[in-house]
Amino acid sequence: MATLTKLSGPGDALYTELCKAAQNSIEGLRKVFFQSDIEQLATDTARDKKELLPLVQELVNHSLLRLSKLDRALCWSTRPRDAATAISRLNADEKLVYSYVEDAHQKGIWLRELKKRTNINPNAVTKAMNKLENAHLIKSVKNIRAPAQKTYMLYHLVPSDDVTGGSFFDAGDLDESLIDELSNLIIFHVRMQSWADTKTKRIKRETTPPPLTAADDPDTAGGKKRKRGPTTDIEDSAATTRKYRLSAYDTDDPTIEIITQLALPAYSRAYPSAEAIHSFITTTDAIRASKAAQLTVAEIQNVVDVLVWDDKLEKIGDGYRTVRGIKFRPPGFLGDEEAEDGDKVEGNGLTQVPCGRCPVFELCGEGGPVNAGSCVYWGRWLKEGA
Amino acid sequence: MAQSLVELTSLLAASHAGDLSAQIFAYLAKHGRLTLPSLAAHADVPARRARTALSSLVETGLVQYTAAEGTAPAFYTASWAAAYNIARHSNVVRLVTERHGIQAGGVVKNILSLGYARVGELAEAYGLEPGSKRDSGVESGNTVVGIKGTVNGATHHKVSGSQHVNSEAELHVILVTLLQSGILVKIGRRTFVPVSDLQDQVEEAVISDQFPDRKVTGPKKQAAFSIAVRQLKRKWQVEDAFSETHDLNSKGTIKRPGQHFTAPNKRVKLNGAVTNGNHATEDDSSVKLSSELTVRVDFTRCTIGLRSLRLQNTAKRLLGPITSAVYGALLHSVEAKIRILHTEVNELQDEDDDPDDFLPVAHIREIAEYLDPDIELAEALGSEEDKGKHVQNGPSTAKRKGQVNGHQEGEDHPGEELGRIANGFSSYRDSAKRFEHIEAHLRLLEEHSKTFCKYTRPGKTPKGWRVPFAALSKSLLDEELDATVAARYGKVPLRLARLLRDRGKLEEKAVAAIAMMRIKDVRSVMGEMQHQGLVDVQEVPKEGQRQPSKNLYLWYFDTQRVQALVLQQTYKAMARTLQRVQVEKEDYRAIIEKAERSDIRGQESEKLEQSERVQLRKWREIEERLLTQVARLDDVVSVLRDFSGTDITMGN
Repeated sequence: MATLTKLSGPGDALYTELCKAAQNSIEGLRKVFFQSDIEQLATDTARDKKELLPLVQELVNHSLLRLSKLDRALCWSTRPRDAATAISRLNADEKLVYSYVEDAHQKGIWLRELKKRTNINPNAVTKAMNKLENAHLIKSVKNIRAPAQKTYMLYHLVPSDDVTGGSFFDAGDLDESLIDELSNLIIFHVRMQSWADTKTKRIKRETTPPPLTAADDPDTAGGKKRKRGPTTDIEDSAATTRKYRLSAYDTDDPTIEIITQLALPAYSRAYPSAEAIHSFITTTDAIRASKAAQLTVAEIQNVVDVLVWDDKLEKIGDGYRTVRGIKFRPPGFLGDEEAEDGDKVEGNGLTQVPCGRCPVFELCGEGGPVNAGSCVYWGRWLKEGA
Repeated sequence: MAQSLVELTSLLAASHAGDLSAQIFAYLAKHGRLTLPSLAAHADVPARRARTALSSLVETGLVQYTAAEGTAPAFYTASWAAAYNIARHSNVVRLVTERHGIQAGGVVKNILSLGYARVGELAEAYGLEPGSKRDSGVESGNTVVGIKGTVNGATHHKVSGSQHVNSEAELHVILVTLLQSGILVKIGRRTFVPVSDLQDQVEEAVISDQFPDRKVTGPKKQAAFSIAVRQLKRKWQVEDAFSETHDLNSKGTIKRPGQHFTAPNKRVKLNGAVTNGNHATEDDSSVKLSSELTVRVDFTRCTIGLRSLRLQNTAKRLLGPITSAVYGALLHSVEAKIRILHTEVNELQDEDDDPDDFLPVAHIREIAEYLDPDIELAEALGSEEDKGKHVQNGPSTAKRKGQVNGHQEGEDHPGEELGRIANGFSSYRDSAKRFEHIEAHLRLLEEHSKTFCKYTRPGKTPKGWRVPFAALSKSLLDEELDATVAARYGKVPLRLARLLRDRGKLEEKAVAAIAMMRIKDVRSVMGEMQHQGLVDVQEVPKEGQRQPSKNLYLWYFDTQRVQALVLQQTYKAMARTLQRVQVEKEDYRAIIEKAERSDIRGQESEKLEQSERVQLRKWREIEERLLTQVARLDDVVSVLRDFSGTDITMGN
């Protein structure tokens, strides 16, 4: 590889001009210049095409410009100066490999694909890739579509959503805590929009009201912090959903807050739609601005859909409402979420009996190795409730 | 028939009719229809005992028979549906108690344990009347006397306990109410004939009547045939429900449930009074039923009622108790107008018609009649201002504002409050206001994504509210399956199952993207669910070679399959629960036997030791718990199998 002569003055000036134009455009370094574009920009440095040609050739030789074809017309795009110096030190194989990676742009290119296309010795490709990577010319990114395949792209590029998987992926991995927080935020927002609350305070009686049925565990009565027993029986006729809010400092406060969640009149209003939720999420300060800017309505819609499947939201018309009784976690809540949700799963007649969850249910039969008499789960089940 | 159902029905028959009958039932269940001699010979039971067992089985409806004309022998068939319905008894009693009061519940309980009952005998059993021997002639009479002897002890015992049917008139009022609501029906000539035989008879009658060439091929003829069959069936049902000898002195009080809302004013009033629970004083000679009238419980009707209860509970969970009370009233008034669980689409004359148009309509006035007047409707309606404040002030100040709102809420309708107190629920203005509130609640129900009810579409008559039962039954079914999945496997499998149900067949990667989960996690959950039979996978080859590595694998959730699977599991779990009752009984055998001795029965508190009483109570608790669980399992079965009315695996 012959060493290049130093870049000439007019060449340098043209390059600076082009870089400036590229940076001012939306596309950045991806901005392509056609011959006419360059002629316009180069009015100071080169008076006509004859003078322009050697200048462009010189820049291409110095790897400062990249030659490509678009719609059968030649076009050029700029490269950063340090990249250019690094490229100029590469050998032919490496240059070829680099050009392919460069063509792949934000999508990136698989290593296998690269080997196939360049049609050179695979070992040489691997070697070239290592060298390029060490020189910080290219980088490997994790492609969400094919996590096992190595994907490469230019070092300075930001991978596209296709590659990263969208806003909910962090370095190729699903950002579960972001989804979780976002879900909570959505539930909070929708809950505030979709139900009317009335709260009445009542003087708490000294002793808790007597149990409704004799089956109620008598041990729980009398205790101030009475935990509500498992109300599997839904026959209660109380007209309100009651929450006993007894925080650590107000145990002496003799009032109980009774919150009644009331539906808003039907057809009177539009419940928040995915678009409305999106605009709330992106304007609130709850999540990082760069992340917020990245979120799309489709992504929010996806989160909302999942919340619907999780029985947290329900669709009303074009908008969404929280399912009655759904609570959001207050900010800074660090309690065990599973414990909170755990007692909500009531199941049905089938899953309440041991058989509904029995691991050897298929084997169970009269006279078989497992049967109603020898079953250990039944014994436990009967003891539990007694 | 599935093995688990055979096991379950045999157990139920044993618990209801005794060991010998259960043996006969199980034999019939296994071998199909048989005549008495061949049954006795094969089952190795003396003919005399087989006959006794059969007669008691026929009374309870567990066995049905077809007697051909002339001297041909009768064929006996086990009735799956009746045997299964034993498990539903406690739910039926619960339904009746809830709707018509505790006394009615008691009456129904007794009729259920008898199979069917003559009104005169019921009155006798309650000790309301000196037992007047009725004249013979009705052939079913003798058998009823026989069974009465066996059950009477228990009946008497209970009657004197809590159910307080004090006078004969009261009993008649209860019976009339139950007959009107359709829960009780009269026994007709064809009650004991198996459904399949009835179908054959109907079809034969139609063919010989209307199709002289005996050919019903071709779409047009087939349609005409099925319509004719249905008409004749209905005609027979009407015939069964009315017979002159029995109904002459009841002055036509017995009508088919669909007709009672057009009945004279008086009866409507009576009905209203009953729902309000103060019917004891209603003493009207005109409601006296013939003591020869024989009634049984109609399970189809009860299933409709149970479906309504279930829907109401769902509405309560999603929209609150008051809205659900309004919904209950709507269901109640619509229920009075439906005959069957499911309207078959081919019954509709025109294909362009919306099937919903054939659903019964309830006017708001009727709904108001069924609704408890003490329920404060306005309280449960949020208003726009409430919400606005919350949003403006954010969650921190919501508490204080909410307090203020609570007061506003009360002040919103002060006129109504005063009016109610001053002159009851009589003034026109008040009732107009009440209708308005009812309508507001109904609109809430309509707005919900489950579409609990629907208002008549514009341009159609009659105006009023409908309940789209078919769609709602489907959503109850989905809900039940969801609950099963969630309780067994957790929330993530639930999310995936619902996702697949909504979106259809999907590849692993698509599932992961939509569910926002890692592919790895999705794969493991899906594998587990496939193992349990909840989801399934379809292989789609991309190329001719069908290489496994290059195939597409699409996951899907087949509701019908999962429904059948869970149903079978529920049968099996029910059978196990019933078997466990026997297992537990072994442990307490001594004390149970002692308590059942004739000299101790009824006075356990005096004649038993303290420790024995504790033991006895323990046993009763265990039995109660297990039997309650059977009732809950039956809830699952009714959702999975019966509510849609389209399942035919049980014969009827």
